[in-house]
Amino acid sequence: MAKVLVIADIKRGEVKRSTAELLAKARSIGAETAAVAIGNNLEALIPSLVSGGSDSQYIADDPGLELFSAGPYATCVVDAASQFGADQIWFASTENSKAVAPKVAARLGVACATDITDVAYTGDNIEITRPAIANKVIQRVKINSEKLVAVVRAGAFKMTDESTAGSENVIRLSAPPTDLGAVVKELIADASGEIDLGDAAIVVSVGRGVKDQKGIDLVKGLADDLGAGFGTSRAMVDSGLMEHNKQVGQTGKIVAPKLYISVGISGAIQHLSGMTGSQVILAVNNDPEAPIFNVADYGIVGDLFEVVPILRQQIKSIQR
Amino acid sequence: MKILTTVKKVVDVELTIRVESAAIVEEGLQYVMNAWDENAVEASVQLKENNGAETTLVSIGGDDDNTQIIRRGFAMGIDNGIQIDDPLLAGADSFVLARVLQKVYEKGSYDLVITGKQAQDTDNGQTGIILAENLEIPCVSNVVAIDVIDDELLKVTRLGDGGKEIVELKLPAVVTVSDSINEPRLPQMRGLMMAKKKKIEVMDLAALGTSFEEVGGSDNRSEILEFSRSQAREAGKKYEGDAAEITAQVVGLLVNEAKVL
Amino acid sequence: MNPLVMAFLLFIALSVFCYSMVRKIQLLQALAPANRADHLKTRFKNMIILAVGQQRLIGRAKERSSGIMHAFIFWGFCILLIRSLMLYGEGFQKGFELPFFGEPDLLGYLYIALKDLVEGIVLVMVIWAIYRRAVVKPERLHNSFKAYLVLVLIGILMVSDLLYDGARFNLVQLPNLSSDIHIFNNPQYGPEFLWAPLSKAAAALISGFSAGTLSLLLVVMFWLHICTQMVFLNILPYGKHFHVITALPNVFFKSLGYPHEKAKLLDMEDEDAWENESLGLNHIHQLDWKQALDLFTCTECGRCKQVCPTYATDKPLNLYDFNLNLRQELTDNEAAIIQRAKLLSGAEQSGHDTDTLKEEVLALNSEKQLVGDVIAEDTLWACTTCRACEEVCPVTIEHVPRIIGMRQGQTLIAQSYPKELNPALKGLERNGNPWGIGYDKRDEWAKGLGVTKIADNPDVEYLLWVGCAGSFDDRAKKISVSLVKILQKAGVSFGILGVEEKCTGDFARRVGNEMLFQMLAQENVETLNGYNVKKIIAACPHCLNTLKHDYPQLGGNYQLIHHSEFIEQLIKEGKIKLNQSMKGTVTYHDPCYLGRYNDIYRQPRSVLQAVSIDEIKEMDRSGKESFCCGAGGGRMWMEESIGTKIYLERTREILDLQATTVAVSCPFCLTMIEDGIKEMEKVDTVRTRDIAELVAQYMV
Repeated sequence: MAKVLVIADIKRGEVKRSTAELLAKARSIGAETAAVAIGNNLEALIPSLVSGGSDSQYIADDPGLELFSAGPYATCVVDAASQFGADQIWFASTENSKAVAPKVAARLGVACATDITDVAYTGDNIEITRPAIANKVIQRVKINSEKLVAVVRAGAFKMTDESTAGSENVIRLSAPPTDLGAVVKELIADASGEIDLGDAAIVVSVGRGVKDQKGIDLVKGLADDLGAGFGTSRAMVDSGLMEHNKQVGQTGKIVAPKLYISVGISGAIQHLSGMTGSQVILAVNNDPEAPIFNVADYGIVGDLFEVVPILRQQIKSIQR
Repeated sequence: MKILTTVKKVVDVELTIRVESAAIVEEGLQYVMNAWDENAVEASVQLKENNGAETTLVSIGGDDDNTQIIRRGFAMGIDNGIQIDDPLLAGADSFVLARVLQKVYEKGSYDLVITGKQAQDTDNGQTGIILAENLEIPCVSNVVAIDVIDDELLKVTRLGDGGKEIVELKLPAVVTVSDSINEPRLPQMRGLMMAKKKKIEVMDLAALGTSFEEVGGSDNRSEILEFSRSQAREAGKKYEGDAAEITAQVVGLLVNEAKVL
Repeated sequence: MNPLVMAFLLFIALSVFCYSMVRKIQLLQALAPANRADHLKTRFKNMIILAVGQQRLIGRAKERSSGIMHAFIFWGFCILLIRSLMLYGEGFQKGFELPFFGEPDLLGYLYIALKDLVEGIVLVMVIWAIYRRAVVKPERLHNSFKAYLVLVLIGILMVSDLLYDGARFNLVQLPNLSSDIHIFNNPQYGPEFLWAPLSKAAAALISGFSAGTLSLLLVVMFWLHICTQMVFLNILPYGKHFHVITALPNVFFKSLGYPHEKAKLLDMEDEDAWENESLGLNHIHQLDWKQALDLFTCTECGRCKQVCPTYATDKPLNLYDFNLNLRQELTDNEAAIIQRAKLLSGAEQSGHDTDTLKEEVLALNSEKQLVGDVIAEDTLWACTTCRACEEVCPVTIEHVPRIIGMRQGQTLIAQSYPKELNPALKGLERNGNPWGIGYDKRDEWAKGLGVTKIADNPDVEYLLWVGCAGSFDDRAKKISVSLVKILQKAGVSFGILGVEEKCTGDFARRVGNEMLFQMLAQENVETLNGYNVKKIIAACPHCLNTLKHDYPQLGGNYQLIHHSEFIEQLIKEGKIKLNQSMKGTVTYHDPCYLGRYNDIYRQPRSVLQAVSIDEIKEMDRSGKESFCCGAGGGRMWMEESIGTKIYLERTREILDLQATTVAVSCPFCLTMIEDGIKEMEKVDTVRTRDIAELVAQYMV
């Protein structure tokens, strides 16, 4: 039985859905699962790690780990992996995990695969599948080393109906030494109280079809009504109307929610590559020729200032 | 300050990529400098212009496309160029490449390595980080701003999960840059003309003072078995007409057909 | 009157004048060369029609009244030159008469009458001119001390001559002085004053004065006239009135090549050019003599400002200031430029030490940056190269090549250009189109249309040049599809290059990026010549213009036909039949690069009329005076961040016409105007169509 260690994806004191997804996948390939959580004040998170599907929980809980630093976080992961005897180490895809995973692989002397969409054992070998060349092709890759460190693409592993909870078995890791070479002096946090794009089941994105803050507020209203994450296109970020952390696209966030609603976005290739993994796409745009309609399951051609209020109305009446 | 900038040649991602017999069809493809490495070159040249740094570009690969991207780096303002030309390295994975880069680093004396955070063809994003591990020097990735405090200390801004991180980075170090860091300049005629005449130091593994075995070349930790085309997403149905009517229609479909609401 | 005084004055005046002129000529000689010594007959004809005939002043409907005013002043001047000769003669010798214009000659008398009439007209025109400047204050005029001074001087010339004659006529009546005063009195034709009613009226005006006063008046008016003329002559070289002398030569030497003389092809491998920074216009001393002559000849009339689309939308390109600033810089550096030329030519002969020579020459450079100090950057890049300015300039000044030259200097040497052009330039470099879309998708628009690729059949008669917009822009692709339909229906033998076609490099050249332009042009020429292409049909005027006028420099010589010309021909030959059933008010927007660059106005209209029931309704600014859509000169790839938008200005004009269809024949115009209509929310009232789309729609 293979052993898979999943690094818990923690944001603002919560374990994100992706952790459970990774654990579910690990179970589905017949592996024994463990989760490692790294940060500060993690006690309250242990139940979610258990219910998410881990049979052991490695906790590195220390004030020194409050702020992310790749070196110390990698040390914790290596520590947990050695103690657990992990064959595979999986991270959900975030900027931070992308900084840590290669370090872990280098230290352990094993292979590292990023942005994977599938993993399986073929005979004795691990094989992974991942996109390449701006999502235009898919690679099937054989892992030659016995073990693998992998970063999993957002939404690649879905929850199954039969995810079973794990069992509580907490092992505390000692605090790693700080990285004196790269010291985080300050964290300018993203605005709080916002639904994380990677986590949300529904994402509503706004594009250049709105001309100003009024339009943004209108579409945000729709997102709020749905309890959805609020995203945007590169053009809006470049013009300063929206923050970079909301950008959905090749150079922003890759999202794969249940429902993706794009409002006033024309559908440039870099935006598309960030959201075509969504289950269902609804597009609202007044240009019937907009490329977004080539990937949308449902397209409404019309003026968003007319359509969005009607949409909100309709949705509110359903919710009652 | 001496900077080593690593650049990679990648296929022009604007082109249609065809796959036949589980391999990528080479015919008609053209190759360019990796976009994130263009950012890295621009960042290096800006440090040269503002802080007097000496800049060196290294690229692994012996063909003409690789030579051209080194020349492009020259045209953007890079001082020196190193080309590692060894046919044994074709198909090397990130770990092998990182070892080769380690040898290049150790052959010279550099204070800072700047690389793009990932390559447009593989989207792996590993090589720079592994290099730092090999060299046992600090690494900050996804950097959007570099400021020089003094000969030994940089202040870099990183885009992390929680927000913007202001990091004090001790040199020597590795920095991988995001495309938000700058707008790479287009090489101008003058630069291109001078670039044609500049000498590139071409080395194979032996000249680098190492060997295929030493860089782990025979031990690729992963190998690509096959390529296939991604499934393109099909267009669904477009609804035009009276806004109230069609919106109601679509919402109904989202609830009953797609079952997402 | 007094030969000594006359000789003295003439000597002074002519010496000063010669000195001024020699300096100016030395300056022109010191500047870069330009070959304008060809086709002398055509040049002469141009000069007669445009300069002497004042064609652009009186032939143009707009500003005609002020044009007539100036024409009369100019022609009056020419006619009065003979009178001047008579007066100078009189200064030396009393009773001097010009041969053929003397007392015995009818011509002499006729001339007296003419002179009188003309002096009257000129005086009225001058008074009107002063009134216009001071009271009416037309926007395009720049009121300066010199402008008024010259008008006043001309007024004085007229008045002094009339009063001189007036005094003369009075004095001749008086018995004791009559022998001293010389007037015509040929028994056959009668006394002079019979033929000179205006002078006679002047005489009546001053008849009340005493003989002494009249004698004094005679002398004073005479010398006043002479001196005023000499002063006038000598202030001419300094200011806008230099055009009095330079206008005729300037028109004579104007470009014969259409629309401009071919700009010299920059050799970017030339090390010396890099050292001297002579790639493009970087320094004032790099103007060629014709460009300097242009600057001298600017009359500050402001017609260029009036028609300039950037000026109309409050951008900093004010051609008037542009020319004046350059002229000022030229004058400021006059001595240095002449010195520079002396040093360089002297060095060739004496084998001067090169390093000290270089230093000396460098020290003579202007202290001001040409772009930056003399001309603001925003000014330089605001131009859409539409040529409206050149079309209306009464003295045929060529503004656009100077702008392009300065852009070349900025891009190549200063390496300073609007960075927002980078994505488009990079796209050209990598994939041969400004959108940067993969070159391998260039012929996807033609899928399923059965279009021949020239690689498969090199023997086709015509090459259809699709262009980047026609290949990649979703809206413009419809033009390509329509055109193919038409050509196929007509059974025309044609093919396309497909993915072998690259951008012609038009916009690269217009923004001064010679490097990119030459690279693309060379590649295209190689491809075209490789297929032995002779005839090219193009739907895009920018492609057409570049292939026709710019490619010959790089070895590409082809016959270019615009699709509207070709379609017109097809209709004439009966190869396609049209159902003339398009209803509604229709208007046509002339693209700058088709009209003012290639003189094609009639053919698109003829094609349009063939589908429209109603007559074409013309906009006020149409034909040669069409208003630019704002996309030329590389501006398609830049945002308009200053002032109002050019395309909205044009859209407003279209909407005011209340047309239901606006026809265009350029993919850029199509995009800009459609965007304008969308922005003004009139999509339901006006539709924008390319000529080809309309023909395809109404083809039977």
